[in-house]
Amino acid sequence: MSDYVEMRFGPRWTYISCVRKFVASFFMIGLADKERAEQISMAASELLENAVKYASEEEGYLKISIEKQNNEVDVCVKNKAEAQQINTLRREFALIHAGQPEMVYLKKMEEAAMTEGQSRLGLIRILFEAGARLRLDVNEGEVSIHAIFPLETA
Amino acid sequence: MNETLTPLTIEGLSIVPAVHDTKLRLTMSGAVEMRDPGEMLNPFWTRIDEEARSRNVQSVEVDIRDLNFMNSSGILTLVRWITKLKVSAAYRLVIRYDRNVTWQRSSIPTLAKLAPNVVVPLDING
Repeated sequence: MSDYVEMRFGPRWTYISCVRKFVASFFMIGLADKERAEQISMAASELLENAVKYASEEEGYLKISIEKQNNEVDVCVKNKAEAQQINTLRREFALIHAGQPEMVYLKKMEEAAMTEGQSRLGLIRILFEAGARLRLDVNEGEVSIHAIFPLETA
Repeated sequence: MNETLTPLTIEGLSIVPAVHDTKLRLTMSGAVEMRDPGEMLNPFWTRIDEEARSRNVQSVEVDIRDLNFMNSSGILTLVRWITKLKVSAAYRLVIRYDRNVTWQRSSIPTLAKLAPNVVVPLDING
């Protein structure tokens, strides 16, 4: 059994800010934990930004579940993606899990500063700053990225 | 003597710079969550960097306490500024943040680790 909030929308950039604020308010009430609520909303925002930037089709999907059995919150963003984007994501996942998160984050910042274009800092930010566990699922051209947060036990 | 420089106002973000004797102070408010914040922020930070160097200020203080969010693309604009400053240190970059705001408490001390000799994270309670 889990409680969840689910949203499906045309991925317009301007919606992301509204979703971030809604998620923060929702979890502030649901969890009574301001820090966790802000971490969850930051993760949702960064994942949605990636979905809008890199998705191959015009649909954004966000599901946030409170998994009571495991005492976890699972923030999942799902979108269609081209094979090239999926490979880039797989490499990105391997890279951010290849070392101590803070060291990886600092190294990625230094590398990003030397190159033009996108930051590609969103996933490692979720991992290091928000302390979430990340999981990538790919199924027939559909990418799901999960940011999983442990909850305080009562 | 205090002097006001040209502020930046874009898509829900405001940055007001002012010179206070040997210090250049920037007050940020709103949020950095546009798709490509670097388009406006990179040239703005470059202008502030040049201004600070030409005026020989000892420090540039960026007050982000009223900034309710910054996305990772916004973080990257600060990383670019810090990287430039690290190569050619002319002043200290002091970032005043609110320790009660989760993203500020987690992002700013990490940013400072990029160049601990020139970036000073200053946490304020509120």
